[in-house]
Amino acid sequence: MSLDLGDRLQVRAMVYVASEPIPRFWPMRTFIHHNPLYGLEDRPFAQAVTEASELFHARGYLARSQYREYLAAGKVDEQALRDGVSRFLHGKDAAIPGIDLDAWLWALSTRYPGERVVLRGDWIDGAGLRAMLQGEELPALGDEADVDAALLELLEARLPPQLPVYTQVDRLYGSQIGDSLDDLLTKSCLDFFDEGQSAWQAPGREAGFFRSWKAIARRNIRFMLRGLHLRQLLAEEDTPEGTIAQILRQLEVPESAWQDYITRELTRMHGWAGFIRYRSTAKHYYWAQHYPADLVDFLAVRMVLGLALLQEAGRHQGSPVSYRALRASWQAQPRLAYLRSELHSARVLPAWAQRLDDLLSRPRPQRVATVASQYIEARRRYELDLQQKRLIDLARAVGGDAEQALRRLSAGELQGLRRLLGEWEAQEGYVWLQAMESHYITELVDRLQVPEPAPSHPKRPFAQALFCIDVRSEPMRRQLEALGDYQSFGIAGFFGVPLGYLEFGKGSEMHLCPAVQTPKNLVLEIPADLELEEEALYGALEHVLHDLKSSVLSPFVAVEAIGLLFSLGLIGKTLLPLGYHRWHARLHSDKPVTRLLLDKLSPEQADSIIRAIQRAMIVKALARELRISRDQVTDDEVRELREIALGHQRGPSTLARERNLSPAEELAFVEKLRDIYRVNHAETSLQMERLGRIGFSLEEQVRYVLQALLSIGLDRNFSRFVLLVAHESRSENNPYESALDCGACGGGRGLPNARALAHMANKPEVRRLLRERGVAIPEDTWFLPAVHNTTTDVIELHDLDLLPARHLLYLERLRNGLSAATRRCAAERMPLLGAAPELAAEPFAAAALAQRQAHDWSQVRPEWGLARNVYAIVGRRALTEGVDLDARAFLQSYDYRLDPRGRLLENILTGPLVVGEWINLEHYFSVVDTESYGSGSKVYHNVAGRFGVMTGNQSDLRTGLPIQTVMKDGKPYHEPVRLIALVEAPLAFAQRTVERIAKVKSLIGGGWVRLLILDPEDDYRVHVLTEDGFVVHPHSPLQRAAGEQTSIRVLEHST
Amino acid sequence: MLAAITVFAAFLVPLFPLSWVFNRLLDSLPMTTARALAVLALPQLGLLLLQYGVAPWALTDPQRRALVALAIFTALFYAFRALSARDLFIWTRLNLSAGLAVIWIAWAMGTAIPVLQILALTWSVPAALLTLLSGALAARLGGSYLGLMGNLVEPLPRLTASIVLTVLALLATPVFPSFFVLFGTAMQLPLSWILPLLLLLPLWGWSCGRLFQDLLFGAYRGEAVEDLSLLSSLMVFLVLSGLLVLGLYGSGGVL
Repeated sequence: MSLDLGDRLQVRAMVYVASEPIPRFWPMRTFIHHNPLYGLEDRPFAQAVTEASELFHARGYLARSQYREYLAAGKVDEQALRDGVSRFLHGKDAAIPGIDLDAWLWALSTRYPGERVVLRGDWIDGAGLRAMLQGEELPALGDEADVDAALLELLEARLPPQLPVYTQVDRLYGSQIGDSLDDLLTKSCLDFFDEGQSAWQAPGREAGFFRSWKAIARRNIRFMLRGLHLRQLLAEEDTPEGTIAQILRQLEVPESAWQDYITRELTRMHGWAGFIRYRSTAKHYYWAQHYPADLVDFLAVRMVLGLALLQEAGRHQGSPVSYRALRASWQAQPRLAYLRSELHSARVLPAWAQRLDDLLSRPRPQRVATVASQYIEARRRYELDLQQKRLIDLARAVGGDAEQALRRLSAGELQGLRRLLGEWEAQEGYVWLQAMESHYITELVDRLQVPEPAPSHPKRPFAQALFCIDVRSEPMRRQLEALGDYQSFGIAGFFGVPLGYLEFGKGSEMHLCPAVQTPKNLVLEIPADLELEEEALYGALEHVLHDLKSSVLSPFVAVEAIGLLFSLGLIGKTLLPLGYHRWHARLHSDKPVTRLLLDKLSPEQADSIIRAIQRAMIVKALARELRISRDQVTDDEVRELREIALGHQRGPSTLARERNLSPAEELAFVEKLRDIYRVNHAETSLQMERLGRIGFSLEEQVRYVLQALLSIGLDRNFSRFVLLVAHESRSENNPYESALDCGACGGGRGLPNARALAHMANKPEVRRLLRERGVAIPEDTWFLPAVHNTTTDVIELHDLDLLPARHLLYLERLRNGLSAATRRCAAERMPLLGAAPELAAEPFAAAALAQRQAHDWSQVRPEWGLARNVYAIVGRRALTEGVDLDARAFLQSYDYRLDPRGRLLENILTGPLVVGEWINLEHYFSVVDTESYGSGSKVYHNVAGRFGVMTGNQSDLRTGLPIQTVMKDGKPYHEPVRLIALVEAPLAFAQRTVERIAKVKSLIGGGWVRLLILDPEDDYRVHVLTEDGFVVHPHSPLQRAAGEQTSIRVLEHST
Repeated sequence: MLAAITVFAAFLVPLFPLSWVFNRLLDSLPMTTARALAVLALPQLGLLLLQYGVAPWALTDPQRRALVALAIFTALFYAFRALSARDLFIWTRLNLSAGLAVIWIAWAMGTAIPVLQILALTWSVPAALLTLLSGALAARLGGSYLGLMGNLVEPLPRLTASIVLTVLALLATPVFPSFFVLFGTAMQLPLSWILPLLLLLPLWGWSCGRLFQDLLFGAYRGEAVEDLSLLSSLMVFLVLSGLLVLGLYGSGGVL
């Protein structure tokens, strides 16, 4: 069967559409907090949650019992919950005689003893329910034909055409093809996507996933042993799209169902699908460039394996191998199919399970008919009995004469009541969520304070520090400010400078900016004092040991010899983590002092750099290939060799003549220069193009510095030190370490951005141009990069060698202040991580414990990370200065007075706010469903291919956050609510700004973020965006200090 | 007459194909307690009968070899059959049949009847406990067919823990006496017979894995139910502790 281009394109388009709801999964090295429902963000939140629940078989809200605990703890706004009930009923306009629906729904949510009152049964109807409640005989179901018709309807719903055929077979024959398929596919993915974890790589990966898999699959012993006949399946079509279409036709899936069928196939293992989706769109990703793969490949492999397993099951147990055949089989014998479906879908009544098991192993038609009738009757009675008990329990929870009223209802009214309760239960989670958010909104409003009017000559602080908006910066800022003359600001951790970063010693570029952006500029880290050719003895030994460890042969030859050496590390890490770490750190040579190549290169400079690199490569080649050291050659000889390698000149070279190299030897050396050392034309052009991306022009530098300063409201009163504090998290044996790094830096560490901005802001030329644009930075102000390790709370200063001498006098005071803040933070944080509460009063001990935790490789929770995040506050620090926000707020400094056109606010809303929303929703969904959206327990995780984790030795890639990050003692530590974003700006101004950004407008309008506007020009009223538009919060206007002016001067800056 | 008595004993101490009667008998008993008592009593009765049947030393070598072969086949057959059983009671009686078949080997090798009676208890006691526990499970969930409700630890931590420990005791996990009995019996056999007999261990390991998968994994999907009482759990724990002591101090030297 041959497919034309149209068919192939149709399949490709279908895969594209099907992949839309699947969230991209970034490699763990740069864990990106993302909204697991990102693909559904164009829908309203509640609708997206419902759709995702079906797609990913996940729950979107907490269990009712958990919400009740929050209600009892005062974390739910009771009135908002009551309003939610009333709003629901108002929308339904339903009335049932004798039933106070408001009271019933309230009792159901707050007092009913179970999780669900409405049973999703197959045989529950009003008449049966009424008979049960009255203690009467159940009415008959109807004659045989009626029962058969009902069964066909049931089976139609259970086995729709979009359900993969193997799943249908599993449900009717208990064959577990789906699980086998997942296992085989996982193994195939691990083979192909491996990023260096395996000692032996799969061959032919350059050809792409499907093609390389296909080549191996034909002779894969694992598949042959399983009896899978793949050769014929693979012989018919060459392309993955063609294979998919051909298999769908072979399975006789109706074309109208293909789209949904493909969606179900892809969402079944949405971790792998999400990773492949990310990979196929990440142009800069090394592994994707070399070993390409996309979701069409993934689906094709899945479908080939699925069909092979289906055929194998058909051969062994006689199950049908196509949708039509399967459908015909259950239509012909609905009773048998129903019983099969009951048993193999685990819906069967436990008391009947063994009986059905016995019957279905030898199904005789007459016996099947009899047992089916008996079973249906038993099932019906069971369902009705359970339903009536639940309704009675609910009526008793309502109290009064509710139970009598329930018993008086007619069949139709009972059915109506059940329908209404079912609808409420479907929406109840969202109402609870809104009521919880209402509580947190009020709590925030009550804690906000009106900023004091700025004095005309404010005191100059000793130091100003720009921290990331990350919630973990909040306690550090609070503690630092409490110490004295420190002023802090919040800014997204990439400091508004999106950059591609090529770290010294690393082979590929990292994007240090929010994942939604793609940086244009590349920054290189260059060593200032490196001995290039030398390697520390310990480092060399370590390489040898690690090579041995990863070799497939070493277990046979090296275990006895060197295995014991590894145990030293094992013992050290286990018994003395801190001491071992210090010893280990001493053995490692320090990273050399480096500089960032930040300034844009002129073409001449770029050319000069390339020449320098090529000359260095030639020197290296001479030493390695011809054993000629640098002192034996002159610059002219090297230059001549370069010209020959580039084809500008012909040999023999002076060097060849002097060394008596034959023409063949010289030619071989020149070829090596071209092929191995890349001294060739193509590489030169490529390097020139790359060098064009390096650095920032002066204008760009001025713009980034100005934008960063104005966006946080810092345009005057600069202190002597302006710290640019990036953050990172350092812990041991933690695949999720990068999840604790900076979200605004794409899951990376923000120090390069801090260094870049500091370098720009310290440059006299930049300062001169800034002054022209209204921001005068005093001559004695120095921007100093630093990094905050959030696991230990230590702040480390960087680029101190560049610090002017006059600042060194103040360095001691600065360091003392920072280390005091470190200890105070640790004392605040350690008791929350399970340490003794007394540590809150012992900062030194707390800081020591934090250090130990960071180096303890058995520690599953080195820090709480971003758990419990709830607020994003965009406004002046004065709103919350001195207020303990409990490390729950993203704090973005912003002064609308410096942003007359709203451009800075636009940047904040599109960057930091979206990052905050992703972080918040990643946590939200990881809590409400720890298995489907979260990644389950860390304890069972294994690193897969160096890019992800799996549960056990193979599973779908686990994409969310682990239980240890969001739960404590089995209860949510992170209280899941949507991000409550407060913006301090005039209402109309904020509305206009939001209107201009389609994505942000959709997020806010769709309820993915709760928006509050604090309007300083409207008496500090808080306007809360609700489903009915903006509503003034009843606890506003805020209390203000007497005499403050509300009219605020708007300053103009050209940004 | 002696032969008839011996054959009759094989109805009660299961030996294929007469073991079918033992299994049917257990299945036909309506009450859990009756089943548990039968699990304890039938093998003991069988062994008492055997005392009056053919003496083991009266067996010829070919007869002994045939009996050992049949006993090993019985053990492996029932252990294999149990792999597909998901009802806890059926699973228990099949594995009990497999375990008790080992008693025939010990008898053929000349172990005295009073000793065999103690050895039989190493399988009968955990099997009786499991029978009671399967009844407790059925009373709470409507049946003891596993794998329908998902992880039972969540609603029934004590009952599930009791089942897990008792299963380990039944399936010859090291430190429980059934392991020492199996090992001691195997040591009495010629080398060529040991391997087939010890195939029981991987089969039981597999069986155990399947049972635990149905019992311990997934998410619970049923109604809220009351767990086993603390007293009952303590009783199970005490009995298993007694078996442990028996295993560690008794069985090792018995054979």
